[in-house]
Amino acid sequence: MASLNTFGAILTHAINLETALRDYYQRIGKADRAKAADKRRQTMERIRRETVLEITLEPIDGLDEADYVLDLSDSSEAAQQAVEESAARFYRDVAPKINVRQAQRALERAGKEHQELANS
Amino acid sequence: MPEKLKNYIGGEWVESATDKYVPVYNPATCEVLAECPESTAEDVDKAVRAAAEAFPEWRSTPVLSRAQYMHHFKNLIEERFEDLARCIVEENGKTLDEARGEVRRGIESVDFAMGVPFLMRNDGVEDLSSGIDESTVRQPVGVFAAITPFNFPMMVPLWFLPTAITCGNTYIMKPSPQTPISMKLTYELLDELDLPEGVVNLVHGGIAAADAILKHPGIAGISFVGSSPVAKKVYEVGTAHGKRVQAQGGAKNYIAVMPDADIESSVRNILGAAYGCAGQRCLAAAVAVGVGDAYDKLRDELVKQVQNLRVGYGLDETTQMGTVISTQAKERIERLIQQGVDEGAAVVVDGRNLTVEGYENGTFVGPTILENVTPDMTVAREEIFGPVLALIKANSFEEAVDLINGSSYGNAASIFTSSGKYAREFKYHVRAGNIGVNIGVAAPSASFPFGGQKDSFFGDLHGQGSDSIEFFTDRKIVIERWF
Repeated sequence: MASLNTFGAILTHAINLETALRDYYQRIGKADRAKAADKRRQTMERIRRETVLEITLEPIDGLDEADYVLDLSDSSEAAQQAVEESAARFYRDVAPKINVRQAQRALERAGKEHQELANS
Repeated sequence: MPEKLKNYIGGEWVESATDKYVPVYNPATCEVLAECPESTAEDVDKAVRAAAEAFPEWRSTPVLSRAQYMHHFKNLIEERFEDLARCIVEENGKTLDEARGEVRRGIESVDFAMGVPFLMRNDGVEDLSSGIDESTVRQPVGVFAAITPFNFPMMVPLWFLPTAITCGNTYIMKPSPQTPISMKLTYELLDELDLPEGVVNLVHGGIAAADAILKHPGIAGISFVGSSPVAKKVYEVGTAHGKRVQAQGGAKNYIAVMPDADIESSVRNILGAAYGCAGQRCLAAAVAVGVGDAYDKLRDELVKQVQNLRVGYGLDETTQMGTVISTQAKERIERLIQQGVDEGAAVVVDGRNLTVEGYENGTFVGPTILENVTPDMTVAREEIFGPVLALIKANSFEEAVDLINGSSYGNAASIFTSSGKYAREFKYHVRAGNIGVNIGVAAPSASFPFGGQKDSFFGDLHGQGSDSIEFFTDRKIVIERWF
């Protein structure tokens, strides 16, 4: 598993995470959740493209993809809750590491949405 | 077979008159990506003729229509954003984040050009004498050209071209033969705009093409970015041939770190400034001056954080520092490090002889820190253009400012401090065109001129911002009376 040690690595992981969630929810017939995941994917792609600021790029440490692996093989309610908990934790951990406020806000918002789904 | 690049002249992709081509390498993999023509004076002349022919129609195209092309251009860049960023990584060797940042800064310049209808407005006064009014209008000048460097193969060309053409001029771009592919992609997007033929032209090549541009009587002005010796030559030859010239040269950028600075945060930013783009930025931090007690803390924190920097191939998103541009650049950088050692500096972190698994032939130089550096040493005076940071100790703020002002260059200087007083004194006294306060890379956004003083700039009007409107237009004064 790779280290999430750059702005791009974190945003790309977020994009991949939301893509995987979109496909997962489509597969188990939860269209609303799939649509929301796809919207977050688009937001993360836009954030990666629009908020990268070359003069403030800094190394990031202490994050690893291995800590945020989603188990998408199980479609039970409990499994969905675990997936959402894991996604929320990812966004909660990475947001403070990003030094561009707009990007941080988008990550925080995504984390909040995942936490709400985990709690529902 | 690698693609043989073509020039873009008069709205068409055309082969150069030359039979000489140079390989364009991916500096990490050593793969040949393309063959770049050594275009000739004949090629340049064709481009100038096409641009001159297009000028009368283009200058009379309403400015709002010219600006609309920039809206479309921006949309096309956004659509191809990732392709462009990846292309920059492949031909330049920087990281994907850095390449994305470069494309974004290029787009920022296109955004700026959309404001030209407002920025070209001028003023007037009625009744300077009885019934006599006086006003100024800004008009485009004619054919402009740019000679641009390898280190920002997309951003630097876009400092100039969008504003120049939106002001009503026509344009010729000559990108670096080491990194011509980003401009090829950019011109494919320009081609999609259906601009009138000849408004934008692309001529690949090296010294012969550059020399022809400098001396061609049909070119009104030249923008250049590169090393200082070449910038000086471009300025001298260009102006001797009657052109307006803005020539941005090299740098030796100093960073002063005060005892009251937040060392951990400062060093995180200084790492980006010193080692971002593998130090191949005209705004890269080259010398860090630790003032008083700050020196030891700065040194220790730098050494601690730099060990974690991951050097590798830029397309791997976990890479934090990529390659330098070529084998020759690597050899020159490593030779200058050794020269520093020979002159008495100590290598605290040594980036020489670095190999990266899977990319054993790549032109990698690891992050390097030299200490015990004195201002007279070559590593403190000459631009290295690589990932090398020299450490100097100063006993006071005033001594740090004197050190910075002693440099022959004046592109940028930064201070890291929590004191408003020191920040203010620094801004006031330091002779550099771009000043950073707790920012290691003091890169102006597109709406501000890119400063540069002393041997870092030759000319009067800088690139970007309001200076670029001045550079790309002539002011005409109209005094009128009606009987």
